Amino acid sequence: MNGWKPRLDSRLFLPVLYALKRLTPALFGVGVFLLLGAASLAALLRYSEFSTWWEYMQQPYLWRVVRFSLWQALLSSGISLLVALPVASCLMHRRFRGRSLLLQLFSVSMVVPTLVAILGLVVVYGRNGWLNQWFGLTTPLYGLVGILLAHVFFNMPLAVRLLLQSYDLIPAGQWRQASQLGFSRWAAFRWIEWHYVKKALPGAFVLIFMLCFSSFAVVLSLGGGPKSSTLEVAIYQALRFEFDLNKTSFLALLQVIICTSFALLVYRVAPKNPQDVSLLASTHYVIKDSLWAKGADSFALLFAFVLVVPPFLAIFDPIFSLLFVQTLQSSALWQATWVSLQIAVPAALMSLLLGLSFAALARFCMDRPYLSRLPTKIEQLGNVILMVPGLVLATGLFLFLRDLGWGFQSSYWVVVWVNAIMALPFVLRALMPVMYQQEKRFRLLYLSLGVHSWSRWCLEWSLIRVSVAQALGYALLLSLGDMGVIALFGSQGLVSLPLYLFQLVGAYRLEEGACVAVVLILLCLLLFYGSSRFIGGVTNRAKH
Amino acid sequence: MLNIDLQYDWAAFHANYQVSIEPGVTTLLGGSGEGKSTLLHLIGGFITGQGILTYKGESLLSLPAYERPISTLFQSDNLFPQLTVWQNVAIGLSSSLKLNHEQTARVQWAIEKTQLVDKVMRFPHALSGGQAQRVAIARALVRNKPILLLDEPFSALDPGLREEMLYLVKDMTGELGLTTLLVSHLPQEAMLSGGKVLLIEKGQVTAHESVAVLSQTEVHPLFAGYFGRAHRTTMLPE
Repeated sequence: MNGWKPRLDSRLFLPVLYALKRLTPALFGVGVFLLLGAASLAALLRYSEFSTWWEYMQQPYLWRVVRFSLWQALLSSGISLLVALPVASCLMHRRFRGRSLLLQLFSVSMVVPTLVAILGLVVVYGRNGWLNQWFGLTTPLYGLVGILLAHVFFNMPLAVRLLLQSYDLIPAGQWRQASQLGFSRWAAFRWIEWHYVKKALPGAFVLIFMLCFSSFAVVLSLGGGPKSSTLEVAIYQALRFEFDLNKTSFLALLQVIICTSFALLVYRVAPKNPQDVSLLASTHYVIKDSLWAKGADSFALLFAFVLVVPPFLAIFDPIFSLLFVQTLQSSALWQATWVSLQIAVPAALMSLLLGLSFAALARFCMDRPYLSRLPTKIEQLGNVILMVPGLVLATGLFLFLRDLGWGFQSSYWVVVWVNAIMALPFVLRALMPVMYQQEKRFRLLYLSLGVHSWSRWCLEWSLIRVSVAQALGYALLLSLGDMGVIALFGSQGLVSLPLYLFQLVGAYRLEEGACVAVVLILLCLLLFYGSSRFIGGVTNRAKH
Repeated sequence: MLNIDLQYDWAAFHANYQVSIEPGVTTLLGGSGEGKSTLLHLIGGFITGQGILTYKGESLLSLPAYERPISTLFQSDNLFPQLTVWQNVAIGLSSSLKLNHEQTARVQWAIEKTQLVDKVMRFPHALSGGQAQRVAIARALVRNKPILLLDEPFSALDPGLREEMLYLVKDMTGELGLTTLLVSHLPQEAMLSGGKVLLIEKGQVTAHESVAVLSQTEVHPLFAGYFGRAHRTTMLPE
């Protein structure tokens, strides 16, 4: 098919025109995304004076911040992936009690509200934490170690899930062969797994790198001073304390440039990631076991377990205290919960709709003459928020709306929209693989039967609903736990749960904060469960 | 002698296979969904059933797939697309791909036998369907397991090529004294490979005869249901 050169032919374009008509909703979604993005950046740039940027460049503080941002992001993503590799392989091969629970914990831990997780980490590793009380070990939690700990806590599970996604692409026939040929676990990894995993690694690395590079709440709370600060925090300071729009745009641009060049660099050396489609139902084939493999697996699993589980348990520490009951009775808590829901639900729905628009457009372009290179571009467009700081986008949008004559009442919508955009990369991650797979396998069938648009959705629904539920769940949790945009735009009437928590901790009411954290995480679990239960449905996969 | 007395239940499908299979080629015939492949998967150890499965008096049932004296060729997915032809064959001997002289010679022998000498450095995507299955046969040759299971591996090939493959399997079986089970939906395949033929209906072995019964002018009563009356004249040339 590669050698085939498309000819300019009206017969070729007519069907495309019809299809474009059907794509109107998708085009609308992507269009709004682009327009609002462009408008906010334009608004921000209007407040910039480029002549002063040279001055900023010469500040040693700036370069210290950049250096630290890069260094901690490299370390965080490297460690996360290094730990995730053996853990993913173990979870792929072994079926044990609690495996699915651990996987669920992993899927939540990457979107658990940052502040809640940080609180959990403090309870475990802090000065009066469990580690110190039980083993007498002290961890220098504030500074690089704390930041790395938090980043690995958030991103190692993400890495595991990304790697497991690439494992899903391995055709079952390969495991069947490996099983009959008596491959050891190492041989299976070397000849089968690594071949697929290595294609997922660069993407995972870039994603985690960017998440850590633009990390905000973690660095703000665990950075412990200007020595360990990131660009994102510098942007927040420039906005919140100096309200220096000029400096903000400069820092934002710098961040975009660094992230973009890093992504380009990695993708340049990365192998292509083809979408294999396995035609065999995934059955579990047993690979030859050995003492060595058992030991390695146990070690990997234990390591992941120790890293992820205690902070989770620590979050629920205050649940039996009297203070917890008292906190539950405060009206401020329920007010904040209501605000959080008002932000998270519309933001998640918007994010999902945007994600579906992107996915519909991307898969339409798949394997079509002239358009076949677009899907990756479309995906990258959806991921652009990983490079553009959310704070900057929010400020730009706010300025844009202010120019249109909308005052502070626009804050709410700014928070909702930017949260939707910030969740988009995760929504796309959840949606894209299954959408591509559907297209690749059934395009000709749908085409020949003339099934499209709404009727196609109805047919596909049962096959994609699990992914849709996962996407919505991620978006809900991310918006629920957001502590970036709300930190900037929160005001008297707009205090979400994370912001309320932040205010409590800032006022040294740590115990009360811990109670609020419990409420927040319970809300998260409830919504995530609801999403996967009612939208994902009960999955009944045939065993054979 | 491969002795089979196996039960297997899956949803509404209940299978109970009872048969003893001698060395040589045995073709498993039967309609689709009657349980031919299920029997092969049971023997191969890819699904687990209850009962008795012995080869030369030793029970295979408790052994995992990789410890059974068996090589299997499936309809597809027999090769690792990330390995070359040479590696795909060699991996049957050593999963680390580190071969000694003797093993290297063995791979070379199998590759010559299957006429793949000029393809050794190719990757599976650059092979035709027939070549790919020849690679899989070459791997089965180097593995040198006494039982060979073939799950319709040639059904996607042209008639001419399929014939060639069946002869290759037949020769191999004779030369190495294998016990070969071939699942097929074409009686001609059974006639080409010779030996015995098993009829499988509703998860049971309903006939176990010499392949000669297929070429008799009168349909063997046990095969009447399988062939049907109308088929008789078109399927088998006089």
